[in-house]
Amino acid sequence: MIIRSSNEVSRATLLKRFPIPRNLGVSPGSRIVKGQKWPAPGGATRVKAFEVYRFDPDLEGNPRLDTFEVDLDDCGPMVLDALFWIKNKVDSTLTFRRSCREGICGSCAMNIDGTNWLACTRFISELATPATIYPLANMRVIKDLVPDLTHVFAQYSLIEPWLRSKTLEPERERLQSLEERRRLDGYYECILCFCCTSGCPSHWWNADRFLGPAVLLQAWRWLADSRDEATGERLDNLEDPFRLYRCHTILNCTRTCPKGLNPGKAIANIKKMLIQRRT
Amino acid sequence: MASSTSQRMRPLSPHIQIYLPQLTSVLSIANRITGVVLSFYAVALVAWLMSAAAGPQVYSTVHGFIRSWFGQILLFGCTYSFFLHLCGGIRHLAWDAGYGFELRTIYASGWTVVAMSAALTLITWVASMGLAG
Amino acid sequence: MGRERMRSPLGRALGLGSAKDGVEQWWLERVTAIALVPLTVWFAASLVVHMNGDYATAIAWLRTPLATTLMVLLLAALFWHTALGLQVVIEDYVHSGLRLPLLIAMRICCFVLGVAGILAVLRICFRG
Repeated sequence: MIIRSSNEVSRATLLKRFPIPRNLGVSPGSRIVKGQKWPAPGGATRVKAFEVYRFDPDLEGNPRLDTFEVDLDDCGPMVLDALFWIKNKVDSTLTFRRSCREGICGSCAMNIDGTNWLACTRFISELATPATIYPLANMRVIKDLVPDLTHVFAQYSLIEPWLRSKTLEPERERLQSLEERRRLDGYYECILCFCCTSGCPSHWWNADRFLGPAVLLQAWRWLADSRDEATGERLDNLEDPFRLYRCHTILNCTRTCPKGLNPGKAIANIKKMLIQRRT
Repeated sequence: MASSTSQRMRPLSPHIQIYLPQLTSVLSIANRITGVVLSFYAVALVAWLMSAAAGPQVYSTVHGFIRSWFGQILLFGCTYSFFLHLCGGIRHLAWDAGYGFELRTIYASGWTVVAMSAALTLITWVASMGLAG
Repeated sequence: MGRERMRSPLGRALGLGSAKDGVEQWWLERVTAIALVPLTVWFAASLVVHMNGDYATAIAWLRTPLATTLMVLLLAALFWHTALGLQVVIEDYVHSGLRLPLLIAMRICCFVLGVAGILAVLRICFRG
């Protein structure tokens, strides 16, 4: 009942999805149709079914949901291992991003069993049957599980995520006390996987203008940095009914962060700073 | 839109259609729904006040409606919406002050809101039925 | 959407730039919320305690100076909070040309209802 860390998978869930018509508001080109079924190889004893979102931009047709039966005895423990097993043994056209396989690069972020997480740090044993694998929610899909992150990265660049100072560069380091450095803990570790932004309902409805939790967390990272001298300009840039204030503290972001970070808290800090500067 | 595969727009990955309802998002949308519902009840409040200002005849008509089974259902809905929005709102105010962002606290406070709002609704109704007789 | 077709991703994200405004609305929504906590609890408790269906009882309770003052404050804070909250809801979900007329209509309705409610309370107090 009480979730202690974002790592925990919800055990008992009343609803698997919100009770709305499946294709409500979905444009015709995005509707998902039934896909192929790929049975397990003969002789496999421990088998698990994976429903995976597929889309091929080189073919006509809508995205579809393929079902793969994975031989768990032949496959590593993580969801990424299952995806590799499918790609190597069953359907080599399955496309997904991946790099470090240890939860630090952020490439394999996707929607697994209804929540966004990294495929390389999610155990297969924690999944439902059949497991459902979709790309990161509310993103344009390039192919299969590969989302187009152009827009969210553009939003990231508009907060100017670099040190801005007018003071002349010191001979060596810009000095910072231990206490000042600690203010960056919990914010600098973001791997920009965009699990949080993709899971934010407010970003679903206003992706074009709301910056989203990932970008706002990084905005806070620069606001909190004592070496930065553009705090006022950064706050001016953020103080907007849409850029910042579409955040209604839904907190799906904190719930889903695969690195255990707290974007909700960062955004609350930004709002508090905005109050502070006019009080 | 061009029908050729090279020019069509990329499909949008599903969001609310497949995302798992969690305590975070469910309580948040409940707070919003109760807020909108309460804004309609606010209109009813003004109607009730205006009927009281209009005199005993108008008031008794309005009161008769509230006493009816349909009116009582609406009143119960109003009470529950009010307490859910009140408890949820206090939780929001705590967040705005900067407190309660640890995941454990988010969940604990969330379940507290669910329990408290139900309890307060029941207490109010039992009390009002007890006092009215 | 047509005129944004060839705009760069950064250009599209930048949009029309930051409004440099928004704290006031956020702050007032919270201030009215804080005010509404005791006011609504008082109102609910008063209804439970005083209401027994009798017209005379209702009027007698509403006419007292305390009840009149608190009701006026309640109505003001309630409709101000409602207007701010509904503005956010409309901004979230309505993206068509209906947005601005809907926002204006909602604001006007909240103002009219607030005034009507306050006048009704004052009528009860001063006329009985």
